[in-house]
This record gives sequence, structure tokens and C-alpha cells, in this order.
Amino acid sequence: MSRYRFLLKKIAWSVFTIFFVLILNFFLFRVLPGDPARAGVKDPRMKKEAVEAIRVRFGLDKPVINCFQSLNPIELGDCAVNPFDTQFFIYLRNLTRGEFGISFHTNRPVSDVLLERLWNTILLIGAGQILSIIVGIAFGVFAAWKARTTIDYSALITGLVAWSLPTFWLGIILLFWGSNNGFPIGGKATPGTSSYPFLYQAGDVFKHMLLPTLTYTIVFMGEYMLVMRSSLLDVLAEDYILTAKAKGLSTFQILKDHALKNAMLPIVTIIAINLGFTVAGAIQIEAVFSWPGLGGAIFEAVNRRDYPVLQGAFLLIAVSVIIANLIADLTYSYLDPRVHSE
Amino acid sequence: MAVQELELKPAVPSSPLLGFWNTFKKNRMAVVGLVMLVVIVFIAVFADALAPYDPKSYEGIQSGDVYNAPSAAHWFGTDDAGKDVLSSFMYGARISLIVGFFAAFISIFIGGLFGIVAGFFGGRVENFLMRFTDLMLVIPDLPLIVVIVALTRPNLLNIIFVIGLLGWTTTARIVRSQTLAVKSRKFVLRARAIGAGNWHIIANHILPLVMPILVVNAILVISLAILSESTLSFLGLGDPTAISWGQMLNFAFGRGAMSAGAWWALVVPGFGIVWVVLGLTLLGNGLEQVLNPRLEAHHLMPGRPTVQTEPVGDESASVEHKPTKRKESPLLLDVRNLSVNYVNEGVVAKAVQNVSFQLHEGELMGLVGESGCGKTTLMMALLRLLPAAGEIANGHVYYGGRDLAMLTEEEMADLRWKGISIIFQGAMNALNPVRTVGDQIREAISKHIPNYPPGTLEERVVELLELVGIAAEHKDHFPHQYSGGMRQRVMIAMALSCNPQIVIADEPTTALDVMIQAQILELLDNLRRKLGLAIIFVTHDLGVVAEMCDSVLVMYGGVTAEYADVDTIYNAPLHPYTQELLKAFPDLSKPERKLTSIPGYPPKLNELPPGCRFAPRCPQAFARCSVELPKLHELADAHFVSCHLVENGK
Amino acid sequence: MAQDYILEVRYLKKYFQAGRPGWFSRGDLFVHAVDDVDLQLKRGEVIALVGESGCGKSTLSLTLMGLEEATEGTILFEGRDITHASPKERKEIRQRIQMVFQDPYESLNPTQTIEEIVSEPLHVHGLATNPEERNDRVRRALEDSGLKPAEDYLHRFPHQLSGGQRQRVVIASALVLEPHLLLADEPVSMLDVSIRAEIINLLADLRQKRNISVIFITHDLGTVGYFADRVAVMYLGRIVEIGTMGEVLKDPQHPYTKALLSVIPVPNPRLRRKRIILQGETPNPIDLPKGCRFHPRCPVAIEACKLSDPPLQKVSDTHSAACLLLVR
Repeated sequence: MSRYRFLLKKIAWSVFTIFFVLILNFFLFRVLPGDPARAGVKDPRMKKEAVEAIRVRFGLDKPVINCFQSLNPIELGDCAVNPFDTQFFIYLRNLTRGEFGISFHTNRPVSDVLLERLWNTILLIGAGQILSIIVGIAFGVFAAWKARTTIDYSALITGLVAWSLPTFWLGIILLFWGSNNGFPIGGKATPGTSSYPFLYQAGDVFKHMLLPTLTYTIVFMGEYMLVMRSSLLDVLAEDYILTAKAKGLSTFQILKDHALKNAMLPIVTIIAINLGFTVAGAIQIEAVFSWPGLGGAIFEAVNRRDYPVLQGAFLLIAVSVIIANLIADLTYSYLDPRVHSE
Repeated sequence: MAVQELELKPAVPSSPLLGFWNTFKKNRMAVVGLVMLVVIVFIAVFADALAPYDPKSYEGIQSGDVYNAPSAAHWFGTDDAGKDVLSSFMYGARISLIVGFFAAFISIFIGGLFGIVAGFFGGRVENFLMRFTDLMLVIPDLPLIVVIVALTRPNLLNIIFVIGLLGWTTTARIVRSQTLAVKSRKFVLRARAIGAGNWHIIANHILPLVMPILVVNAILVISLAILSESTLSFLGLGDPTAISWGQMLNFAFGRGAMSAGAWWALVVPGFGIVWVVLGLTLLGNGLEQVLNPRLEAHHLMPGRPTVQTEPVGDESASVEHKPTKRKESPLLLDVRNLSVNYVNEGVVAKAVQNVSFQLHEGELMGLVGESGCGKTTLMMALLRLLPAAGEIANGHVYYGGRDLAMLTEEEMADLRWKGISIIFQGAMNALNPVRTVGDQIREAISKHIPNYPPGTLEERVVELLELVGIAAEHKDHFPHQYSGGMRQRVMIAMALSCNPQIVIADEPTTALDVMIQAQILELLDNLRRKLGLAIIFVTHDLGVVAEMCDSVLVMYGGVTAEYADVDTIYNAPLHPYTQELLKAFPDLSKPERKLTSIPGYPPKLNELPPGCRFAPRCPQAFARCSVELPKLHELADAHFVSCHLVENGK
Repeated sequence: MAQDYILEVRYLKKYFQAGRPGWFSRGDLFVHAVDDVDLQLKRGEVIALVGESGCGKSTLSLTLMGLEEATEGTILFEGRDITHASPKERKEIRQRIQMVFQDPYESLNPTQTIEEIVSEPLHVHGLATNPEERNDRVRRALEDSGLKPAEDYLHRFPHQLSGGQRQRVVIASALVLEPHLLLADEPVSMLDVSIRAEIINLLADLRQKRNISVIFITHDLGTVGYFADRVAVMYLGRIVEIGTMGEVLKDPQHPYTKALLSVIPVPNPRLRRKRIILQGETPNPIDLPKGCRFHPRCPVAIEACKLSDPPLQKVSDTHSAACLLLVR
């Protein structure tokens, strides 16, 4: 019962958050000078017909939302307009249809551009997260177990240094080193290899992934290690560890059966809170290594002032993070029986 | 009253601030961080005087100067425009630090305000603020910052505001939880009882205790703001007129430093960022350790090996004694001259000294003493569960023909629970919160009786729970679903799971209500009769001991004060401490008697008095007591007393 | 008549809502923390309020202090109705009613000096604004609380004092306002046995010297046996027995009091008695049992106990108990 309620509450909250992001996204791009709809109309790269298509698509001749003709707060509009005939509603409707607009730069639908890039980002973040979590936790456990030894102190310092490295800079340094040592200098695959056998292509992608993933792992490993170390130190000082020891369990059994699960709880929270940073890391790494992912799309869109892509990428990233957060919350409640019974 | 003369005279008043500085100085991490920070702030402030070139002027730059390698003229080489990297680095420090500090100031102000208001006022205000915070926390910062900066004009002020206005969420959460923690402390309630209003309480009681955490957090927020700024600049969204480190990297990376092999143009600015961020991180982490010191020791750290020193010298002059057999039943445990030291940074504290006792089958022994008298340490030494700083400094623990003090860790692990088990205070955190109760009982059985008939293991768990009065359906519940009394029962069931001969009960009823306490005591008493257990009952409650125990060991300041059977202790005590303790204990059967307290306080283990531990508080002390530790005298009837008076009386 | 009493509590009730009313939860669950309490206290009298955790004794004291708002009933203090006093009146009343808390390690702000702690009430109430007068009052309060000479303590911080000394500081900071009524919530339960008596004796002294009335809240009848004039035993939000100390100790009427008294350990192995041990735990004060609220655990309950909730009945002029079996 209470577990069910807990689940429901979390999901309802996530839906609300997504809605908030949709509103934020809408108004952000309308209020600030770079409205993709209006900017698009003025963009010299656009053809006449395309401009007209944009007008219709975004309903630019319609009121922004009930009571507001435009976003000028002094100039109130008609409140009695049909709420389904406003820019805001049209924006929502377009989103539900998966229409994010047309890229100024490539003239392709933004959704197409983003979708193929989403998978590349997931590939990079996935590999990087898994590696950094495994490595970080392993070192963290080891450091905590060997507390107050040289191993512990060097792990602590390594973690702090890794945490302090700017992601993009580490990427640059690795790229600099890699480009002099036979690593590919960027991208996801060597150009012109698309007709090669699958295994060759996979190996090629793997080679391209090595340095970005390494950058990612080093940067995020530091924090996971620090959190795991301090969390495990706390757990190992708890009374129930003494109980376990008094029961005659071996060190290994105590670590495995009593300490790790409890110490993992803060890690799950950190992973959830870090999702935002994860994305930040991906943007930087993709920018440095020209990795064709969402972050790279943001980087390029910023430089090309390609607002529809920027808007779409932001929306997609925000919603992904919210969903990932929900998953982390639910995992936490699964791991800790105390959560949903208040 | 005689009390005050005996209390310690005040030492030099040390303020919390002075104490803080003293610990800060010793924290290497914090000091290194502070020094790193001071260096870079110095460079940023005096960039005008320090920088060899003006990074804004193109004077004297020739076409061949692009990406020149480090030389005497340009220590760190030149950049894509032929400018001196070192000079740009020094001015860049300015921009990075300005953005970092100002943006962090905005974040800390908003976060601190939200956190304190939400935490202190609670209710709807809190609900609204924290929901808003959660909302902002979930939305990924950097993409949002990028979007906002991309849509507005990238100048320094905008960047500061955007980073500042989006970076307050973690601060708000941390400050709120700290405010909640402080608010729930009793001194805030006391301030209310005095009649203080909200603002008085916030200013005088909440803020001073939230401030340290806010400062630590501010340091981390500054480092995050600096990282954000450099990332923004690197992505090409920096203020083009303000050359920060991120901007330098953007130019170098975008304008061919990589292909030109100009590592200096890439390494130097990045090094600046790492230097500042690392300095801040070290300072922040160090400060946190200083403000919130925690034991860096835990239960899995290897203990110190047992040392056997012969009892020689002035203090340990007491001869080895063998308490005579008090009971007809067989002897189970024979503890002889056990001493335990705590060794911390070379300082030795004598927690237990030369304690001996014997435990027979079916005997219930009371171990009585006030907090800090060494009673729990003694029990932990028996089980070899001393914390990492503790060592058995002398003595033997004979059980089943073996000396437990000399066993290896593995041999000891096998013996724990099967031979001697222990009941901790179940009201505390002695049960693992994320595993079911039945699971935790099962675990002990399968460890020690590996070939237990698999089908009957579940039955055994149920049987044990029923033995302590818990219905079988509670087996799969988690500890937090139990009340304090039930948790204590579970601890007892768990302790009995491997049929031990001896059970140590370490203050099993402290923190429980009187009626629940009575239930637990009766349960223990019944179990001992039913199962023939020997129990060592550790407590400070003389009443409980009188009601249940057969023999009593009274400890004071780490030594045996008196050891005898229960009737002797209560009706013919010879040690002044025992006598005074009884006078201080309320006895409803004699309500006309006035309670007296023992003046002064028990000694601290690191500043034990030179002679008898009790001499400073003893009403019958004489000159010899303050210089010579009395021997443990054996009187008739296995009655042991460590007091000079007994000798004189002989 | 009314002038005889410093405090009169009539039909006092304090209910808390159980859980926040939300979309999914019913809003009509109440914790009956204090449920119909009647109590009179004479000037200079010490009454002990005894009961297990969850019996409502702490809520009662917070309600009397005005730190919780009463749900129903009236509280008369020195003849004046203070049940729903305005914040301004409340502040004034707080000069007369003060409180001593259980945990001396928690009830002092670690960042304040002893002087700041003890003079804080004067600041808050704008009393003794003249520094000399203030110093004088602070010093007097400290020395009356047994911290002599006061100079030795003024500039120290709580962490430099022992538990007993801290509790004395707490008492001093209550005394500085010269209250008429002191609410002591388990003031010795966190202290070592050997120093408990000294705090009790201090309170007894103060009551004699300053004629302060004391409500002493405790779960341990043993500690107050020597000190209180009267004792009120509480169970599930209600007083089930009240009388002079002698009467209740020697001739308890309510089965709960009898059980409570029987389990107080007597430090004499020759006096091992039969204890009346109640089974189970105090029920949760949300779903109160029908009839007498003690009947599910009562060893002598009869059928009628399940039906009617007995009121307090007089056994003597000073002694009453709430039990159906008294009607004989």
C-alpha cells in the first residue's frame, strides 16, 4: 500500500516536473531574443516558403497564451480566446507529435537530427557511467577498508584531483596526447568506412570511443570514489557492523552482507543528483572529441545560432534527466526499506 | 556544599574560534588548500604589477610570434595571437575568480535564505520552497545555462547572474537539513521556553550553527562556479572582452594549438583552473573535517595485538589472585589480571587494569559502574572486539581450556556467538536496517552450524523468536518496523541462536521504559534458568543488579573496587565507593532516607589520579590514598576489595 | 479558593493530527496525547508526573508552557486564564513559568558562553538593562544553582563542563527570571547515578528557599520518591491516579500504579519481590481502547472495564484513582 503510494507520488512528481520544463522551455525561447520561431523568420538562410511554413507551424499570428497577445506584460490580450488556438497550445501539440521544428543549419527536422544523436550520447554516457561507477566504487571500498593507511590517503588525493579537473580540459590533454600516439582525432568513425564489414566498423567505433570514455571515467570516478569511501567509513563505524563481527562473521562476509548495501545508498543518491553533471560532462567531451551526440549538437547549435536544435536538445536532455532521476529514486526505495514507510 | 571544591578548576577559557584554529592548523589538507588559494588570489590582485606584458595590447608583436615555444622572454610561450601566455594567465585568474566569487555569492545568498526559511518555518512555506528546489535540482544546469547565455548577450555580468541564479539548489538543501537538525535540538526549545521570538532564535541559535556548513558549502560552490564559467567560455559563450582561462582554452583549441603542437597554450590555462578548484576543494574538505570531525576508525580495522607484560612496578603491584570457587557448578570463564589500554597518537590511556573474575555455569554476574569506568571495554576485550586503538595490555581470559587473549582473529571468530555471545543495546543501531530480522538471525546460525538441516533452519528462527515472545509473522519485517522493546528481544533471540554458554548483556535495558525494562529482565532471568546460561549483566542500575544477580563486580576508574556475592555487596559493602553509590541510589523501601550524591565526577581515563582512583571523591580518604593504588585484598567468602582501609582494619 | 493554587488545569486536551492530510490519507486521525487532565498545584508544592513514554507527560508540560496550543480545556496560572494567551501575554507569563530539560548535553547552545546562556532570558525580556544589575542577577542565579564562585564559570563554554554542571547551568538560566513555577522534564535521567541526587537536592533547596512550585516529570518513581509532595500517574494521556507521595507509594489503588511500583528495582537482594509485569506495550494513542483505556493490559480487568471509562474517584481527600474496581 504505502509502497504503491510512494511510487505513484514519485511518478506524479516527475510528470509535473516535465510539464514545468515544457513551460520553461516555451517561455525561455519566447522571452529571450532568440525565439526560434521569430528568429527563424528573420534568418537569412531561410527560403520564403519555409518562413511561411514556420508561421503556420508555430501559429505566430496567434496569441501567445490566453490573456497575452505577446510577451509584453503591459499589453494584455484577450482572455476569451480559444485556449486551443494559442501559440502555447500549438507548441504542446507539436511536441506530442514529435515536431521540434526545422534546423536552420541543415534544414532537416530537428527530431531526426536529435534522435540519431541521442543514441550516440547514450552509448558514451552509458559506457562512461558504468566504468566510472565500477572503478570509483572499487577504489572507494578499498580506501575505506584500509582507512588511515597510505593507500587510503593516496586514493583520497587522487579522488580530489580527479574531481577538480575540468572535463573539457582533460579531454583536450588526452586528445593532444592521443593524436600523437595513433588515436583517432575525433568523431565516431573513420570517414568512408560505412561500407566495411560490421566487425571492422564496431572496432573502429570502439577505437574512437576509447579516449572520450577514458576522460569521462576519470572525471566521474573521483566523486564516486570519495562518496563511497566516506559512506562506507560511516557504515563501518555503525553498531550493526560490531554486531556482525561479534556474530563471528569474517571481514569479507561483513563487507559483502552488511556494509556494501547500506553504503551504496548515498551512491544512488549521488548518481541521481549527478545526472545533470553527467550531461554537462557529455557536452564538453562531445565538443572536444567531435562526438556526434546531443552534447555535440548543443555545442554546434550554439556556435551556429541554430535555435530549433538548441531548444529541442535542451528539452530532450531535461526530460531524459528527469526520467533517469525517477529511476534512481525508485531504485533507492527498493534498496532501503525505510524510505516508503516514512 | 563540598562539591565545588572538588570540581576541576576552569582551564584557560578557550573559545570555539581558538579551538577551531588549533585543529585547522593540524589539518594538512585545509592548510595546503588555503595556501594554494592565497597564491592565486595574490596573482590575480597584483596581475598589473606581476604580468610581464599587457595582454590587451598588440604592441611589439610580430607575425612570427604565433605559438612560440617557452623561452626566456615568454616563460610559458605565446598564444595564437602572439601574446604572452603567462600574462594572459595572470589576468585570466582575475576574471575566473571574479566570476567564481560573485556567482557563488548570489547562489549562497539565495540558497542560504531558502534553506533557513524553509527549515525554520516549515509547513507550507517549506513545502513550496523545497518543491521548487527539487524542481530546479532536476533540470540539468549546464544545458540551461548554455541556452540562457546563448539567447542573451554573453557578457561578464550576465554570466555571473546566470551561474549564480542557477547554482543555489544544493546549498538550499544542505542549509535546510542543517537548520532542521539545529531546530530540533533542545536548546532551541529552551530558547522558546525563555520567551524568545523567531528572529532572536534564528540570529542567536540557528545562524551560528548553520554558518560553518554554509562556509564549507560556499567554498565548493565557488569552485563549481569557476568550472561553469570556464566551460561556458570554452564552449564559446564567454565574454569576448574578458579573457578568462576558459576563453584562452577556447581560442587555443579552436585556433590550431593542437596541430601546432603548442601544448603550453593548452596546459597553462587548464593548470590555472585545476589549481584554483583543487585549492578550494582541499580547503573545503579540510574545513569539513575540522568542523565535523568523525572517527576515522571503524570496526573492521585491524586491532592491536595482545601484549603480555608481567605485572611489575608500582601501579600494577596487585598480585595475581584467583577468586575461590563460589559455586558448585563448573567454571566456565576465568579472567585473570586483564588490562586494556587505548593507544592514541602515542598517548596511552589505561582503560582497564588488572581485573579478574570467574563465571560459573548458570551464574548471573552483575558488572556495575558509572559511564567511563571501563565496564564495556572489559567486555569488548573478552570478545576481542576492542576498537582499533585498544589493546589487551596484560592478562588472560581462559575459556574452554584456551586463552582467548592469545587466539588469532580466525580462531576467535569461530568461537564468538557459539561460545560467548553478546546482547547490545537493541534500541540503538545494533541491527542492520536494510535486512530483515529473520535474515539476521539465520545468518548467525548458518555461519556457525554450516550443516544445519536446511528445512529446519526456518523453524529454528521461528522457535527463537517465539522464545523471546515475538510472533512468527514478524520474521520478515525490518528493524525499523519494531518497537524498541521488540528490537531488544530480537537481539536476545539472535544472541541465543547458536546455543552459547555465556551471554554478555551490555546495558540491555537502558533507554527502555520501566515496564518494558521489567519485561526484558524477566525474559533474561527465565532464559537463564531454562537454558542454564551464564550471563554477565553490564549496567549502572544497582536496583536491577540486586533483583537478579548472584555475584557483583563493581568497577571504578578501570579497576575493581569490590567483587563479591550480591548479598555482601548490598548488605556489607566495604569499599567506600560501593557504600556511597548505594546511598545515592533511591530505595523506595526506605523512603525516609535522604539521598546523598558523591561529590565530584568520575576520573577521565587520560587523567587518572596517581593513587586510588576514588581518593579525590572518597569521604574516608587519607594521605596514603592519594599516592598509592591499593591492592585488591581478598577477604573471607570470596570478597575482594581494593581499599587501604581494609588493610588497616585487619 | 482560587488564590491557593498557582496552577489549575481543567479538562485539558491536546490532540495532534496523525499525519498530514493529503490526497491519499484521511485527515481525521488524532493522537490523543493529553486527554482530559485535571490538576491543581499549590504554591511551593512539588508534584511528580509519572508515566512511561507516550503517556503524554511531556506534551502536557509543553502545553502548560504554551509551547503547544491546547485543543480544549483551560489552564489557570496564578488565577489568570492563560490557555490561549496572545504572544505578548505569553512572553510575560514565561517570566513566571520556566522549564528544565532532560538532556543537559543538548539543551545548551555550544557556541554560547555560560554568561551568555544565563543572561539570555534577561535580554529577551528586556530586564536588568543596566550591566551591573544584569551581572548581579546572573551571578546570583549561578551561585544559587550551586556553581560557586560564578566567576569561574561565566566565560566557559558548555563543552568544558560536566553533565551535572551543565544541568546546573540550565537551572540557573531558568532561575534568572525568578519564576514561580518550574517544569522539570526528566532533569536527571541522563546523569550518572552518583550525581542524580545532587540535582534533586538542589531542586529541593530552591523550592524551600524561593518557594518555587515544581512539576517534576519522570518515568522513574524511584528518583522523586524523596522529594515530591504529591504524585500523579499518567497512562495514555490521562491521570489514572493522584495523591500524596505517601499514599500512592504505600497504598496504590490503580492496577497500573501497582504494577509500576512493583517493577521499580529495590537495591536490596533480600527484598526480591513478586513483580507485576504488564504484557505488551502501551497502545498507540491514535486508536484508544474502548472502555477503560488500561483494560487490555490490566491484570485484574473485568468485563465491565471493556465498556465504561472510569473517572477519577476519591479514595481520601487527597487521593483519587480512576478504576472501576474501586466501587466496592
